[in-house]
Amino acid sequence: MAARSVSPGGALLRASRMFALPTPIPAPSNEASAGTNYSSNTATLAFPTHQVITTLSSSRKKGDWGLKRPLPLKSTTKSSNPMLRVKAIDTIEQITDYTSATDHGITLRKFQELGMPLTARRPAGGEQTDSTSTMNLPQKSVFEDELDVTDIHPDKRAQAIDTRWKFSGPWLAGQTQGEFKKWLAKEVRPKRSAFREFLKKNIARELHAAAAKVAVDKGQDQPALIDPSSVTEDQLIDYLRKLRHNNQALYDMVGQFLDLAPLKPPTVGQLGLPKENLSTLEFREMKNPYAERGPPVTHPSAGLSYLRTSMYMENHPIYGPQRQHSPAVARIVRPRRQTQALAARLGVAGLIVNTPLGDTASNSIRTGAVYDRIDPSVEGGAKVWVQPQRASIDSNGRVILTVNDSSPEATLVAQELLGDATCLGVQPAEGQMYQREKASDIRQRYRAPDAPTMSSAQDYGLRRQ
Amino acid sequence: MSCRQWLSSALRQCQAGLAQQQPRAFSTSAPVAARHIFGDNNNNNNSNNNNRRARSNANEDLYGLVATGLQRGGPLSAEEQRQVMEQQHTPRAYVRDLRNNATTENYMRQMPRRWKTGDVYAPRDLSPREMRKWRQPKRPNRDIVDMLGFSPLDNYRNFSLISEFMTPMGRIEHSSKTGLRPVNQRKMAKAIRRAIGMGLHPSVHKHPEILRLGRHGVPSSAIPMASDPSQNRL
Repeated sequence: MAARSVSPGGALLRASRMFALPTPIPAPSNEASAGTNYSSNTATLAFPTHQVITTLSSSRKKGDWGLKRPLPLKSTTKSSNPMLRVKAIDTIEQITDYTSATDHGITLRKFQELGMPLTARRPAGGEQTDSTSTMNLPQKSVFEDELDVTDIHPDKRAQAIDTRWKFSGPWLAGQTQGEFKKWLAKEVRPKRSAFREFLKKNIARELHAAAAKVAVDKGQDQPALIDPSSVTEDQLIDYLRKLRHNNQALYDMVGQFLDLAPLKPPTVGQLGLPKENLSTLEFREMKNPYAERGPPVTHPSAGLSYLRTSMYMENHPIYGPQRQHSPAVARIVRPRRQTQALAARLGVAGLIVNTPLGDTASNSIRTGAVYDRIDPSVEGGAKVWVQPQRASIDSNGRVILTVNDSSPEATLVAQELLGDATCLGVQPAEGQMYQREKASDIRQRYRAPDAPTMSSAQDYGLRRQ
Repeated sequence: MSCRQWLSSALRQCQAGLAQQQPRAFSTSAPVAARHIFGDNNNNNNSNNNNRRARSNANEDLYGLVATGLQRGGPLSAEEQRQVMEQQHTPRAYVRDLRNNATTENYMRQMPRRWKTGDVYAPRDLSPREMRKWRQPKRPNRDIVDMLGFSPLDNYRNFSLISEFMTPMGRIEHSSKTGLRPVNQRKMAKAIRRAIGMGLHPSVHKHPEILRLGRHGVPSSAIPMASDPSQNRL
C-alpha cells in the first residue's frame, strides 16, 4: 500500500519532467581558468552539465517535450536525433531556454559503442600521460571493491585512504599558492582548537595503548581508557614538538583531521632542498591511484560504462570469435607539426586522444606521413583505424582514452561489416540480398508493362481473366 | 657538350624555381587546387604546360638559349630527351613535400585550437566560426596575482613579470587587458613605475634581456629566476 501514500497529483508531479530535471553540475574548468588566454565560451564542454532530454517522434511533431509549454517545431524537428538540454524551464520572459544536446548525447552513444570498461590503476591525464614503460601495465576496473568504497564509517576514513576516491578536503598539490593561502586563512585557521582536541584524543589513545602493552607484559588487568580531557597542555606541547620533527606523522595527523586527498611523495628534484635538509624527511609510499593527479570530480566511471572488464570476445557471424575487439575509425583532428613540437591528435568517438606510443604506424617513417599533413583532397578528412585499449577519467572529469594501432585483419573485418572491403576476395551474397531497393528501381519495376500498376481483383484470384 | 650540360642544368634550375613558385599561385582553400598540389602527374603536367606558356621574359630567354645551344650541339639523344622531359614534368619528392607542407601550414592557420587529450568535439567545434574564437587571445577572467598569491610590489626587480604587464611601447597595460582586480592592478602599476623609476626597466620597450632571449627562441616564462628564500616549500 506504499504506492497509495502519494496523492494522484503528487504522483503526477513526481513523474513530470519538471521534477525529473536535476540541477546542473558545475562546469569543467576550462582553458580560461587554466591560465591561457585562448578559449571559446561556446566550445563543447569536456563533460555535460545538464541532463539531456528526448521525446518520442509523435510527441516531437507536436512540440511536446514534457515541459511547461510546447517547444518551437522549427528548431526541434529538423534533427534526426531528438536531444535537448533545458537551461531553464521558465524564464522571466516566459520562454523555455533550450539548446541542442546532440554533442554530448551522440558522444556518449559513440563511446558506448566502443564497449570500453573504465579503469583506474595508474593516473590518467596531465601533460606527461604515459611512457612506453608504463603503458602496458595491467589496469583495474573502477568498480572493484578495493577502489570503489564510498560507504565508510567516519572513524575509519583514515584507514581506507588507499581505497577511496572522494575526499572532503582539497588535493593540495592541485592548488595554486594563492588558493592555498586563501584556504589556510578561511578553512584551516578557524579549526585550530578543534585540531588540538583531535591531538588530545590521539595522545590519550597512544597513552592507553602504551599502558595496555605494559599491563599485558606484566600480566595485569587492562587499564581503563584515558579521557582526552585529562591530557594536560604540557603533554600536548611535547607531542606537537615531536610531531614537528616527523613530517610523515604530522601530515598523517593533518590529513586525517582535514580529510585531505592523498599526495604522492615529492621527488628530490621537486623538493629543491639542500641535502642536509633532505635527510630529515621521510615519505611513505601512496597506494591510492589518485595521489599523483588528484581525485576525480565524479565517480571514476563517470557513469559512462558499467562494464567491469574488456576480457570478452566478439563474435562474427561468419568468421567466428575474434581475437581483437572491433577497431574504431579515428579522425586526425590535428596533424603533427614537428617544427612547433605539436603532436598529432586523433578524434575517436568524439574524444580527443593521443597517438599511440611505441613502434606504431604513427611513429614510423613509412606509414606516418598521413599524420603529418592535411590533405584536402581526402573527402571528410584523413582517418585511420585504431584499436581502443583503455579508458579512464582524469581528475578534471575528462575521458582519457588510450588507443593502439588496429591489426590489419581486424580492420578488414570491420571494413567488411561497413561494406567498404571484401574479405577473402568473395563478394558477399548477403549484401546483395538485403540491398535496399532504390526509388528508381521501384519506378522501373512499376513502369514495366507486364506488372499492373494497381492491385485488382484478379491479383487476389477473385475473378478469372 | 659542356655547353649543353650547363644549359640543361640552367634549365633544371629554372624549372625548380617555377615549381617552388607554384604553391603561391594556388588557392589552398579550394579542394580543387589541393588536388593539383597533391594529385597525380597528369594534373601537374597540365599546370606545368600552362605555366610554361605564361612564363616570364627571363625564362623565355633561357629557353631560347637552350634552343640555340641544342642547335649548336646537335639534337639530343632519346635518353637525354627522356631525362629532360622527366625533369620538366615530374615534380621532385622534396618539392612535393614542400607543397604539402605549405598547404598543411595554411590549413593549420585556420585551426588555431590546441586540442587537449580528453576534449569532446562535435562537428560544430571544427567549424571555422568556432575556430575563429580560438585565434584572438582573450582577457584572462581570473586575477593572476590572486591566483598565484604573490605581491607585485615585491617583484619590481622581476623584469619578465614587469614586461608581461607593459605594452611594447612601454605603457602600463589596462586592467581590461590584464584581468587584475583594481587593488592588484594598482599594485602592479606601482611596481612598474618603481622599476622604471629606479632605472631597472626601460620605459620605451621590453627589457633587452627578454629581447635577447626572444631572438634565441626562449620564451620569457622560461627565464630562470633566483628562488625566493621567503617561499620555503616546507
